[in-house]
Amino acid sequence: MDKIDISLNINDKPFEVRVAPNDTLLEVLRDQLDLTGSKESCGEGVCGSCTVHMDDKPVRSCLTLALEAQGCNIKTVEGLANGDDLSDLQQSFIDHGAVQCGFCTPGMLMSADALLKSNPSPNEETTRKALSGNICRCTGYAKIVEAVCHAANPHDRCPDCKTDNNSGE
Amino acid sequence: MRLPRFDYLGPDTLDEALDLLATHREEAKILAGGTDLLVRMKKGLLTPKFLISLKALNELSYIKKENDCIKIGARTSIADIIASDLIQKQARALSQACEKIGAVTIQHYRGTIGGNILQNNRCHHYNQSDFHRSGRQACHKDGGKICYARDASDRCNSTCQSDGATALMALGAKIVLASKGHERTVDLANFYTTDGIMPFAIESYELLKEIIVPAEGGSSAYQRLAYRSAIDYPIVCAGVLLKLSASQKNIIDDARIVVGAMSRSPLFLAREASSLKGKKLTDTEAFKKAADASMNSAAAFAVHNVGATLEYRCVMVSEMVFRALKSAAQDAKA
Ligand SMILES: Cc1cc2nc3c(=O)[nH]c(=O)nc-3n(C[C@H](O)[C@H](O)[C@H](O)COP(=O)(O)OP(=O)(O)OC[C@H]3O[C@@H](n4cnc5c(N)ncnc54)[C@H](O)[C@@H]3O)c2cc1C
Ligand code: SF4
Ligand code: FES
Ligand code: FES
Repeated sequence: MDKIDISLNINDKPFEVRVAPNDTLLEVLRDQLDLTGSKESCGEGVCGSCTVHMDDKPVRSCLTLALEAQGCNIKTVEGLANGDDLSDLQQSFIDHGAVQCGFCTPGMLMSADALLKSNPSPNEETTRKALSGNICRCTGYAKIVEAVCHAANPHDRCPDCKTDNNSGE
Repeated sequence: MRLPRFDYLGPDTLDEALDLLATHREEAKILAGGTDLLVRMKKGLLTPKFLISLKALNELSYIKKENDCIKIGARTSIADIIASDLIQKQARALSQACEKIGAVTIQHYRGTIGGNILQNNRCHHYNQSDFHRSGRQACHKDGGKICYARDASDRCNSTCQSDGATALMALGAKIVLASKGHERTVDLANFYTTDGIMPFAIESYELLKEIIVPAEGGSSAYQRLAYRSAIDYPIVCAGVLLKLSASQKNIIDDARIVVGAMSRSPLFLAREASSLKGKKLTDTEAFKKAADASMNSAAAFAVHNVGATLEYRCVMVSEMVFRALKSAAQDAKA
């Protein structure tokens, strides 16, 4: 079982890595490339905290071999912001208080980002379906769903939300 | 969780893949989307020496209509099936079943229909970590001589929880199995063994190449019950097909009922379905009777190994079949 040199295209940059056949994409991202945004929680496809994009489609990186990720465009949560400029979706998560412990957040963001590509202002039902493969122990989902539905609002307080989500600050 | 070690083989053509399978046989496993296989490998349930990846075999990814059939390549993704108008219109039960598989981000882009049919049977006592299983005697499926799910059982009663297979069997699908220099077509209803250790009648050197779904008219529907509407496997499901009489459009000429997640394979209930012959599409009494009969038959097979009490699952068989029949009838009238 020899290690193999491969090239992965991650967040529009090429990376040369040496991987074993049984290395998952998640392990290579975190352990070799220090892209520790993607989290391992269950490691068996259930929770969604490891979600990344392969060719714009959200997939589980814990169930994807690094070898199988060759030749496609991989995007991780690190690729959402432009330098220090957060994406609208990331800002919306902050504005709506959609982050508590934050462990599910990278996966939530990647599932939501993929949804927003095809549907910039999704309704609640569509959003819940798109996020249905991501588990959050903390928030109860309501704020996450709001954050995604209203991600198109570039304001720090969302005018679409009737209640003031940030009142606790 | 680390995967055990293996060698990765990436054939470029189907012929190359079949050559590799013929050489390595039991030592090799096919890797399609990996959403079933890699989980089992991580749990130490199997440790193949070689994985033969279908990644480069685009020739196995297609949906096309030929004569009165829809042909689906085994490597076609669940997302492509959901997006197909053809399947939506002419094999609705399959479309409905695929929508329910796991969650968008787990299977829909990486999971395949071939892998869905061939995902291994499951059981609460078996689909556990190495550590969990090391604390007790091995069961039949794990190489031992006992079954935790049914006392004194001489065989494994693990449950087939494939949404796709249940819908496909209801639609009367056939599958094409290819091996080096040979191909055979089998009725999906005849593809299962009677032992959950190896639930499928497929040889180690064979590859599932194509699924053939008859599309000669008729109206189908799929219903399932799971703990959560996403991520979870079905604990009861049902697929049905209603064909109408050519002369009288509101009379059922032929019906198929298949109950899934209750046994080692989806259960094709021919006798229960035949009671619907000659009945009107609006005859919900007849639907109820057929649904109750399905429940009684399915109850004989089920064991308590996929969650929820057995009593509840059995009652829900009737409900799922009834709902599916009503939905198919409604679709036929429309
Ligand atoms: C959290 C979670 C939830 C899930 N929920 C559901 C659910 O609700 N319903 C459901 O039906 N499934 C569910 N699954 C199981 C699985 O993800 C799906 O069945 C999926 O469609 C499997 O496809 P795959 O391509 O990923 O299969 P793989 O994992 O690649 O393969 C599965 C098996 O089939 C064999 N195989 C695959 N293709 C071929 C071929 N062409 N020829 C010969 N052998 C082949 C492999 O060797 C392997 O043994 C779930 C899985 C997870 C992790
Ligand atoms: S049904 Fe019995 S033999 Fe089969 S996996 Fe479960 S406990 Fe093991
Ligand atoms: S870590 Fe990949 S789904 Fe949980
Ligand atoms: S914020 Fe803690 S798991 Fe979602």
